[in-house]
Amino acid sequence: MKNTIKVERAILNLTQDELAQKIGVSRQTINSIEANRYVPSTVLALKLSELFGKPVNDFFKLSNEDRN
Amino acid sequence: MSFKKVEECERTKLEHFLSKFQLPHPFKKVGAGIVVLSFVLLTVIKFIDTEPSWMRLFLKHVMIVGLLVISISREKIEDELIEILRSKSYALAFIIGVVYTMLQPVVNYVVNMILGTQEEVDNVYYFEVLLFMLLIQVGFYELLKRNR
Repeated sequence: MKNTIKVERAILNLTQDELAQKIGVSRQTINSIEANRYVPSTVLALKLSELFGKPVNDFFKLSNEDRN
Repeated sequence: MSFKKVEECERTKLEHFLSKFQLPHPFKKVGAGIVVLSFVLLTVIKFIDTEPSWMRLFLKHVMIVGLLVISISREKIEDELIEILRSKSYALAFIIGVVYTMLQPVVNYVVNMILGTQEEVDNVYYFEVLLFMLLIQVGFYELLKRNR
């Protein structure tokens, strides 16, 4: 799974800490998601979707490995 | 449906119970204090000849309680990643604990053979197993948390 959360965060001019506070997680969790070390739950993905004002598919993409 | 309600749908009653079962974050330091204090006292009474017989057992139990308090204390921000890391550390501690329990008598037997001593080899004391499992859980949890 690849994501463009870092880009979306930059568009909204938010730091990792600010984004974390808005969706109720720790800064380290945001860092892990951005670095593709952790795939968030559906609830967290939908919270991000609501915050970014975009569908989840716009910033979370399946990688080729996930398709196999 | 609001996000709060969606979140509630994903949680079972058991998960609700487990989340309430945890202690507040400051208890982590209380637990660490208990462990350090009991460890220091256990080390001190090792060098005292006239220690009461119940003292060692009591301090061992206190140490286990301290580790348990650390283990079930919440983080400052208890999010889903922390829950996953905690679950992984419990699973790992359980598996390693079972392997340790099975292997420890064999290791004791081999050590006794090498040293030529005659000690009871088929007893695995619950204190050692509990201490080992709690140490593994707390240690791996901290390791996973640092590397998240």
